[in-house]
Amino acid sequence: MIEEPYRWVEAIANRREYVETQLAQGSPIAAIGYRDGILFLTVGRRSRQKIYEIYDRIALGAIGHPGDIERLRLAVIELASTEGFTRSAADVSLRRLAHYSLSPVMKAAFEQVYGPPYLARLLFAEIGSSPKEDLFLRIDYDGSIAADGPTAQPRQRFAVLSGTNSSSELMEKFLQQNHVTDATLQDAITMAADAWSVGRMALGESAIKELPERDAIRKHRDERLIESGIEAAVLERDRRSAIRYRTLPEEELRSNLQR
Amino acid sequence: MDKPPLALDPNFSGTGEDFPALLRRKGLLQSAPEVTGGSGGHAFVPTESTTILAFKFSGGVLVAGDRRATAGNTVVYDRADKVLEIDRHSIMAIAGVPATAWEMARVLEHSFQYFRRTQLQEMSVDGKVRALSKLLRDNFGFVMQGVGVVVPIFATYDANSKPEARLYFYDAMGAQFEVTDYAATGSGSPAVRGILYYENNWGSKKLQELNADEAVAIALRALDTAAEADTATGGVDRSGKIFPLIKIVSQDGITTLLDEKVSGIFKQSVA
Repeated sequence: MIEEPYRWVEAIANRREYVETQLAQGSPIAAIGYRDGILFLTVGRRSRQKIYEIYDRIALGAIGHPGDIERLRLAVIELASTEGFTRSAADVSLRRLAHYSLSPVMKAAFEQVYGPPYLARLLFAEIGSSPKEDLFLRIDYDGSIAADGPTAQPRQRFAVLSGTNSSSELMEKFLQQNHVTDATLQDAITMAADAWSVGRMALGESAIKELPERDAIRKHRDERLIESGIEAAVLERDRRSAIRYRTLPEEELRSNLQR
Repeated sequence: MDKPPLALDPNFSGTGEDFPALLRRKGLLQSAPEVTGGSGGHAFVPTESTTILAFKFSGGVLVAGDRRATAGNTVVYDRADKVLEIDRHSIMAIAGVPATAWEMARVLEHSFQYFRRTQLQEMSVDGKVRALSKLLRDNFGFVMQGVGVVVPIFATYDANSKPEARLYFYDAMGAQFEVTDYAATGSGSPAVRGILYYENNWGSKKLQELNADEAVAIALRALDTAAEADTATGGVDRSGKIFPLIKIVSQDGITTLLDEKVSGIFKQSVA
């Protein structure tokens, strides 16, 4: 099948379509910078965790097949942990993990059409010593990387992940209009939950194409929250502890959203 | 074809190996050589070079260590940290060879974090206690050769099953002993154990009823007494103003006592 270049291109295109379809229902995840760090938030089935601690200063949000997410997650933790052990925690860098380890592997799996691709989209964030050094980085199933962080002038201090491109674009549009970098954690939680709601409304058969009114966003959010669980974690800039990752209890999130 | 840099185990089970096993697979953790009847027929003499102690008081567990590191008759360093934080609620204090002990603490610290990150739950206190035991057991080949003996104390706060402070000491082979009141290891420990036994039975209060300041005073007195007869123990260096390192484990986590605080209590209750 893949002896001829044309067939290979065709196979890749088919595979892309297949993976996109598989991922299309993934519940969005928002990662936004706030006054004291970076907040990850999503809403979904309580039985499945989607936000993870990777290393002292690195967190991951992922959508896709749980088996594939798990393999990638464990591989990254393994790499980060051995690096942190043999050198130091300061030598564990998200940029290196993504560019030199994850991306080539995911690209190879995607393009070797006889083997299975990773059905996963990953959103990483690494907290720096100042907001300017924060890094947001997204790796797609084909190994492509979209980053917003230290080297070039950071344009925005947030990143999103969703099942479809149109959904993540709408979430980004919402955050570009509403995101403030020095928000309190309380305000950031509300903002991230609203961004999630926008992303969710842009998925499925009755997907919206334009940003809805704030009331519609909140209404949809509150309806979803009756059935679903809300999950969030922060990377804190607090220097007192080496481990910056902390999960937020669901009760705290809910009472915060009811204000 | 070469393995990709991120080689994944095809028989992936999801349970994950423990961190020392991962390090061994990558060739980053050397196991001690096989034991072949000791080092040239010499009797095994533990070379301990320090004194550490821990006891439970009303505010949790106090862990203290002097600051001296020695090699034979030589004082190598007078500001050594022998009371090491392993995670938010666990302290490992070390008596013995620092090179081995600090590496052990590093492996242990990473093991607990690796477990939490991969398994998405905190390792149980029993699991943590056992992890240190395994590291000591693996190190026993070095101990038999007369290098690398480590005799630690492990103090932690168990937030899960029955919320309470837990305190353990180990022997060089890795046997763990849970204690109800106090533990001390290292060359100065006989004196320290004497003091703590005396205080606990005939002192003005039982150790577990002491408040924080009283507990610190007793820890300082015990270390100073140990240093009086044991050259390997630093005790309190009055001229250099070097004070023992004291940490407290409680429900809220670990607090390190500042030097000003320790010196204040020292002036008031010890000097």
